[in-house]
Amino acid sequence: MSLVRNFPAVSILLCLFAGIISSGLKKRAAEYVNTILIFVAGLLSLCTLLYILETGQMFVYVMGKFPAPWGNEIRAGVLEAFTALFFCIIMLLSLVGGRKKLADEVEEGKTFLYYVLMDLLLASLLALVYTNDLFTAYVFVEINTIAACGLIMIRQNGRTIEAAARYMIMSLLGSGLLLMGICMLYDLTGHLLMSNIKEQMKWVYLAGHYKIPMLVTIALMSVGLAIKSALFPFHAWLPDAYGYSTVSSAAILSSLVSKGYIFLLIKIIYRVIGFEVFYESRIMDVLFAFGLMGMIFGSISAIRENDIRRMIAFSSVAQIGYIYMGIGMGTQAGMEASVFHILSHAATKSLLFIAAIGLTEVSGGSRQFIELTGSAYRNKWAGVAFTVGSLSMVGVPLFSGFISKLLFAQAAVQNDVKMLPALIVLGISTILNAIYFMKTVIRIYTPVEEHKYGSMTFKDMKLYVAALFSFIILNVALGVSSQPIVDLIGQGLAMFS
Amino acid sequence: MYYIILSIFFPIFTGVYLLFRGEMKNRKNLLTVTGVFFAISAVLVILAICMAGNNIFTLFCLTDRLPILFKIDEVSVVFSIMTIVVVLCAGFFSFAYMKHEEKEKRYYGYYLIVLGVLIALCFAGNLITFYMFFELLTLSSMPLVLHSGSREAVMAGLKYLFYSLSGAYMSLFGLYFLERYGNTLTFSAGGVISADMAAGHGGLLLGICFAMLIGFGVKAGMFPMHAWLPAAHPVAPAPASAVLSAVIVKAGVLAVVRVVYYIFGVSFLRGSWVQYAWMILTLTTVFMGSMLAYREPVLKKRLAYSTVSQLSYILFGLAVMEESSVTGGLLHVLCHGFIKAALFLCAGAIIYMTGKTRVEQLRGIGKEMPFLMWCYTIVSLGLIGIPPTGGFISKWYLAKGALSSGILGFDLIGVVILLLSALLTAGYLLPLTIQGFFPGADYDYGTLKKKEPPLMMTVPVFILTVLSVAIGLFPQMIIHYLLRIVEKIM
Repeated sequence: MSLVRNFPAVSILLCLFAGIISSGLKKRAAEYVNTILIFVAGLLSLCTLLYILETGQMFVYVMGKFPAPWGNEIRAGVLEAFTALFFCIIMLLSLVGGRKKLADEVEEGKTFLYYVLMDLLLASLLALVYTNDLFTAYVFVEINTIAACGLIMIRQNGRTIEAAARYMIMSLLGSGLLLMGICMLYDLTGHLLMSNIKEQMKWVYLAGHYKIPMLVTIALMSVGLAIKSALFPFHAWLPDAYGYSTVSSAAILSSLVSKGYIFLLIKIIYRVIGFEVFYESRIMDVLFAFGLMGMIFGSISAIRENDIRRMIAFSSVAQIGYIYMGIGMGTQAGMEASVFHILSHAATKSLLFIAAIGLTEVSGGSRQFIELTGSAYRNKWAGVAFTVGSLSMVGVPLFSGFISKLLFAQAAVQNDVKMLPALIVLGISTILNAIYFMKTVIRIYTPVEEHKYGSMTFKDMKLYVAALFSFIILNVALGVSSQPIVDLIGQGLAMFS
Repeated sequence: MYYIILSIFFPIFTGVYLLFRGEMKNRKNLLTVTGVFFAISAVLVILAICMAGNNIFTLFCLTDRLPILFKIDEVSVVFSIMTIVVVLCAGFFSFAYMKHEEKEKRYYGYYLIVLGVLIALCFAGNLITFYMFFELLTLSSMPLVLHSGSREAVMAGLKYLFYSLSGAYMSLFGLYFLERYGNTLTFSAGGVISADMAAGHGGLLLGICFAMLIGFGVKAGMFPMHAWLPAAHPVAPAPASAVLSAVIVKAGVLAVVRVVYYIFGVSFLRGSWVQYAWMILTLTTVFMGSMLAYREPVLKKRLAYSTVSQLSYILFGLAVMEESSVTGGLLHVLCHGFIKAALFLCAGAIIYMTGKTRVEQLRGIGKEMPFLMWCYTIVSLGLIGIPPTGGFISKWYLAKGALSSGILGFDLIGVVILLLSALLTAGYLLPLTIQGFFPGADYDYGTLKKKEPPLMMTVPVFILTVLSVAIGLFPQMIIHYLLRIVEKIM
């Protein structure tokens, strides 16, 4: 057995241990441990990815050498390794970008806890991506929820506590439903390992037994994960949670945590229930419809918003809607588009959050649009980065957002029934996106007469600019040379089934 | 071959450079640098045209099936030469005009980017490349509309953005379908729709074509999506309005030419409902634009409405799909480009010297700046279509094409509307000349001062005037060239 096969498991365990060790460390040391940890986890994922690409097939790692029906397994394919790598990159950049601000946002004595939570979050994300066991997935879903709550709450003001409470309630509802789904699945099939369940599922499905319990199971799991990833109309917790937490938390929550759940859902669709069974259950159409509604209502809420952070948060609702629309399309192409949009949205949304903090910083800390007028002149880099993010969100060619829209549209054209609603809503949502993002861009580039606030220079924020710059490069790279990544996603999805 | 890339990216990169470098010490340095950039861009475009041949230059691939590629054909040549002449004239005009405006560096930065994007549109070799730069054109020209930063400008800019993006999405909608049902998105004369495709998905393709016409027609101010144009063009600084009104709207025309003649093809569209609907829309726009211009008291707005009307002359010519009407339309692209730029520059010079914007304030303006007003009068005659100016020739061909098309009803009504609109054009352009040169008995000659604008302003206007007349005096060569295009695409 090659050494590389240990890497996924090692990276998860490493994160857990780093979390434990960091709880006894000082602020600085915890920060270093965290940075190195993310870097190492990314590196391990990269090695795994290269290894899989070289061998051309996925591998299964058996934890503790207990064989299949009893033991716990980790499974690594192209898509898993690539997503893990991508998550690590986004997390690192988000943390680096928000580091300077973190000192103001979190009490001195609690900073190390912030990094402990980050370590745990990364552990749970990696586990969600890699695991081949439904119950393990559930355990890490809970760890993820708790870590995310902590990350929201660690910035202590009234709003965050309320937001965290709301997030907690909604999230627990979601994981409760997921747990019920898993229980029923266990009842139906007698297994917890994904591959075994799928085998049994096929038998149950072909025999035509348990039609209604199966439908209920699928519905419970989809709705549970939809609540956790803030699909419209379950998004009520989102704007506060993203709007008032620390900036790195907001970036990571919106671009990684919700995406982790969606990734788990895709995995469940392919690896547990089976694409055909899921397709037959018509839950897809429900997801499709809610996705479309989310695309419109998320954008409308964002237009009404006067607070830049909450506006970006509401835009996430719309973007999650895109992803569910792709999943709901019920085709391979739709799924590919969704996975690409997970990546593209992660790269764009965290860029927007990090850029927005630079703009509010030079506007006296206020996030109201009226105060942000002209802020792009006071912080040039943040202004440019925000513009790039906005253009990508609107879907201008050369940026990643355009490619996702293109892929969604290509997928839509292949489906005769869903083509028209998908394309029309895609168009409306594009224009709504343009309205609120371009409004903001024009606002931050409108010169002001009186200079109330000082400006930031490059020297004050070298790391911040480096993070922004990497995000921009990531965005343009996804937009310009998308073909290899799309191929990779296709290959990964093929390995799934 | 690399000149194509250079001629596109040199202006874009120098524009970005101007945007990002610090403030220059004095204004003269900025103007020198910008002037040099203009000159080099012009040389590069001409070199690109001369050296191009039949090469296709692929820059990179967005996805496997969507390469970004450039190719120069005859249509590119016509549009790019018009673009570079107008942009340069208006650019040098701005050297004098922008003296009293702020943020000059930013203005020239975006101006250069717009130039590069326009050239890229002219040279684009397939629909996706065209679409990409079409979006970039909207985004890079918006700062020109927003330049003054006033509330009116911001509202106009948002309106511009909203309309353009809606239009662009409608055309993107078509692109999605063509990518699936068409074999290629590369422009080729005569269209790429094969007979069996037309048979299989005929109705769908026609619908798509109509969506794309409306979508790209937004940029060309075609009814029903024209409302942004009279709002956005006048709020920009005058030379920028000249570029917006003379060149940027032509990107919409170019788009329509490419979609109709290079993607769908005449044989597929001729006689279909799309053609009729399109003709009705253009004729409505021609008449409505003239009427609105006639009622508009502010000079720059009046010129903007005139653009709405005149562009639909071109689109009407293209919609008739008859040899001489297409020739006339393409010729009118050149004529209208030069004339409208000259008119806007005149309006700019008047604002610069006197600060007056409304037509009725301009009594006796011809006595104050006779040379400028002579240019204004000559190009106005051109726009109305009085020989020996270029406008006459193009409208002649348009009318001839409409008459010989034999499309029942449209041949006669079309010509009648064109004539009616020409009368209206005289009605809204000439009062300025009449009141300007003949202010009436009660005009106070005592306060009259010669206020001829500086040379930096009059020379570009003069060049444009000469060009618009020259087309009328020596049309043979250009007509010959245009007929060659028309032969290929019909």
